[in-house]
Amino acid sequence: MFTNILFLMSAVLTVGGAFAVILTKNIMHACVYLLSSLLGVAGLYVTLGADFVAATQLVVYVGGIVILMVFAVLLTGGSDAQKENKFGLSKIPLMGNNKTYTIAWITAFVVFMTLIKIISNIIKYYKETEVSAYTATVEKIGMLLVTDHVLAFEISSVLLLGALVGAAVIARPRKRE
Amino acid sequence: MMTLSSYLMISFILFLAGIVVMIARKNMIAMLLGIELILNAAALNFVAYTKFVNQNMDGHIFPLFIIVVAAAEAAVGLAIVIRFYQIKETIHIDDATQLQS
Repeated sequence: MFTNILFLMSAVLTVGGAFAVILTKNIMHACVYLLSSLLGVAGLYVTLGADFVAATQLVVYVGGIVILMVFAVLLTGGSDAQKENKFGLSKIPLMGNNKTYTIAWITAFVVFMTLIKIISNIIKYYKETEVSAYTATVEKIGMLLVTDHVLAFEISSVLLLGALVGAAVIARPRKRE
Repeated sequence: MMTLSSYLMISFILFLAGIVVMIARKNMIAMLLGIELILNAAALNFVAYTKFVNQNMDGHIFPLFIIVVAAAEAAVGLAIVIRFYQIKETIHIDDATQLQS
């Protein structure tokens, strides 16, 4: 009962946040709606019994990436000053106009028709199996990370180091020579 | 209500929303928001299949690596956006034409 209510609230939060990101015209509001959508995904992880993944989602995504994006929005001003490009033609506004939205919806429709065929097959032939009870997953994940998936673990640490150094080098102010 | 198909539909809607945001927007940061939505849809699929189909823990490991890669991608992408804004004073994607000529 409680899990059903949590599932419904999380699903509404996820889908509503995703559609609000599409429909809003303000980049700051889009960041906040993305925050609600990611919170909903974390709630869905909880209903699936993935407690460690839900906690990581909350800490890294909601607390880290969205805050980083809000900082980037604040640092870049978010206004399109010049309305014309270098050829003198009028530019598309920053958050898109009807033309770009039409192209995007047509693309989404094509992808929808392609994927719904696959998903309908899955739904049709999927047999309901008994679902395992909720157990703590932290210990199992910790054991798997240092036994079966240790190579991916080490590679991800190197990737994070590279991303950190790369971001620092790119964003560093350069001296005029 | 909590079946595999409902989770698949939610992640499907997230994926489509990410595609629409990525194509319709001309703001670099807004396009990054679309990429985050698509990555979340993929991770949700992994966890849902782990719960309902094979029930080993590998489907919980992969979303962790997806989150790590998304964090690295957001850090580097936003550094590039801020650097671009320092040079061109705009974040319109159509102004990034220096490699064209």
